[in-house]
Amino acid sequence: LNLIPLKIMNASDFASNFVLGIIAFTLGANFSVQAIKAAGKPVIWISVLEAAFAWIIVTLVMVLYHSLNGLPIHPAFVLGAAAAATAPAATVMVIREYRASGPVTDMLLRVVAIDDAWCLIFSALAITTANALRLGVFSSVVLFEAFYEVFAALLLGAGLGAVFYLLSRFIMTVEEVLVIVIGSILLAVGLATKLGLSPLLTNMTFGLVVANIVRNNDLFFEKLRNVDMIFFLGFFVLVGANLEIHLLPKVGVMGVLYIIFRVVGKFIGVRLGSMVSKAGENVSKYLAWGLVPQAGVALGVALSAKALYPQYGEVIFTTITATTVIYELVGPLCTKYGLRKAGEI
Amino acid sequence: VNSLLSAGLILLLGFVGARLLKLVRLPSVTAFLIVGILIGPQLLNLVTPEIFASSEFFSNLVLGLIAFSLGENFRLDKLRLGMRQVMWISLSAALFAWVLVSAGLIIYFISIKMPIYPAIVLGAAASATAPAATVLVIREYRASGVLTELLLKVVAIDDAWCLIFAAMAIAVGNAMRADVFQLSIVFAGLGEIFGALLLGGVLGYLSSKLSRYVRTSEELLVYTLGLLFLDVGLSIAMGVSVLLSAMMMGLILVNIARENYKFFEVLRSVDTPLYLAFFILSGAHLDFGVLYRMGLAGILYVVLRTIGKVYGAKFGARISNAPKTAEDWLGLSLAPQAGVALGVGLVAKVTFPDYGNYIFTIIAATSVVFELVGPLLTKYSLIKAGEISSSE
Repeated sequence: LNLIPLKIMNASDFASNFVLGIIAFTLGANFSVQAIKAAGKPVIWISVLEAAFAWIIVTLVMVLYHSLNGLPIHPAFVLGAAAAATAPAATVMVIREYRASGPVTDMLLRVVAIDDAWCLIFSALAITTANALRLGVFSSVVLFEAFYEVFAALLLGAGLGAVFYLLSRFIMTVEEVLVIVIGSILLAVGLATKLGLSPLLTNMTFGLVVANIVRNNDLFFEKLRNVDMIFFLGFFVLVGANLEIHLLPKVGVMGVLYIIFRVVGKFIGVRLGSMVSKAGENVSKYLAWGLVPQAGVALGVALSAKALYPQYGEVIFTTITATTVIYELVGPLCTKYGLRKAGEI
Repeated sequence: VNSLLSAGLILLLGFVGARLLKLVRLPSVTAFLIVGILIGPQLLNLVTPEIFASSEFFSNLVLGLIAFSLGENFRLDKLRLGMRQVMWISLSAALFAWVLVSAGLIIYFISIKMPIYPAIVLGAAASATAPAATVLVIREYRASGVLTELLLKVVAIDDAWCLIFAAMAIAVGNAMRADVFQLSIVFAGLGEIFGALLLGGVLGYLSSKLSRYVRTSEELLVYTLGLLFLDVGLSIAMGVSVLLSAMMMGLILVNIARENYKFFEVLRSVDTPLYLAFFILSGAHLDFGVLYRMGLAGILYVVLRTIGKVYGAKFGARISNAPKTAEDWLGLSLAPQAGVALGVGLVAKVTFPDYGNYIFTIIAATSVVFELVGPLLTKYSLIKAGEISSSE
């Protein structure tokens, strides 16, 4: 229909960075001491392992595919990292719709709440690695550089958290809360971009620090939740508008591999995680079905990859968008299937 | 500085600036403008060109937002009696400002042997007020009382008078320059008003009908903001007044169904960052260079407009038997002047190749003055009228 003027398309870079900042900031809150305590060991183990396995397996398969086809391999790392993400919103919707309840449901809710955070950490590592590989030489200097980048992002996030802590004490009205939160997220993304650090990691650390040291931090996150839907809605429509349909056939095989091996990774990860943490049999068998949906965070990773290296970013972005569409269609059905098998619907 | 960083700084510095200047009892609006001046291109230059380019989009949205929220004040079942006062006061305050400024400038222009039509156009611009600044002052100090209520309604509709006056003034100006009186310009002005009212009315009606599909409060926010964008966008596309159509939309909504107050409520929970950014960007846009060029005409404009507002409001209040506080203080609280007047200036700039630029410069310069001093005067009047508690 061409209803989106060029001006708004141009603004979408700004908007997507900002939205990613919001997502990362909110995810950071999942790592507050309180939240981790509440989650318990099995959740941590299962979420780490299912995310990590999806990452590793997809990465391996993609590396294989790329090198067989004589393509540069670094996009593979980013694709793998994106595979770690799940879709909390879709999962919650299914659970609510069918009024599911039981140990698997409980565990599922907690796992999807935090595995996106792992996904961000992985993708920060993956993007740095991919960047290093792209530059060709993989020496200790590059490795050092990568570590430095991650470390600097953590430091920046923590520093902003401290500044935020100071500012937050001067807040007097509820309306000002929103000003401060949005302002600081923008600042964090802006500074990170300027210094060449990962905006995702920076904002996540920032959110983490806020969740741990600022009093009444719930208020900040809640205020943000009130308004984030506008940004997300705008963001996803723009993502759709940005999609280059002609690239779809090109990513065909890659997309299929991605879809299959992401799910394989999730299943292996959940099995291992349940074994290590001695979670129940039902959890080990059926939880992974609930992790099939994939949504916003994966797209976010794809977008930040696209911003970092436009050349290959295009392919990564299209693959992830296309697979997200498929997962969004099939994923909720899988979740429902898993929960029914577990006897919780 | 990249755009994200710039946007973040705008919000945070705005907050810090407002907090600091509160110590010397300046209203936040003024604080935001000052921060804007500081980080604007003339001083620190922290606003990127992209953000500057977006400020037109932004100011249209914020003006729409303000006007929409002003529409909420026109609950017809509560209004009947008050409306007569609002009409009288707004009309006579606008008219007095026009007549006084025009008369003063005509005398001045004759004495320096300049054509007199710019005086008529400038007078029309002087009738405009600035709803955004006024509303923010009222809100910040939680003013309430008869004066506040009247003020909110007067600033909502007096821009309609300004549009009519401006259309007439420009038609007259054209006639004096080229000896052709184009009635069509006057009609265009009226069309701008009625088109806006019609558009806002239709959108308000439709949105109230469609709102039953809205379920959660998050959806409501998306819905309301979307409507506002739609209204502002359509107004611009159709060339009708953004302010009036948004106000009309709010007015229709609040009168059509009781529960529609939720639209206004949901906006209030998120609009602070928008206003803050709007005023900071306005501050960054303020061009102090024009102050040197405004000369005696600018000074006359400032003085006569203020006198016109004060006595015009007094006259209107007395005729319509408005309360005494309104008679005494309403005029002064109408002092802020900003976007609407600048709009008149822009039209003049395009219409009159010879003195258009001069007219625009005067309006821009006096807007700098009124934008900075106006909110202080509004606050002062509200305090004097006893509608702001003294602890503030």
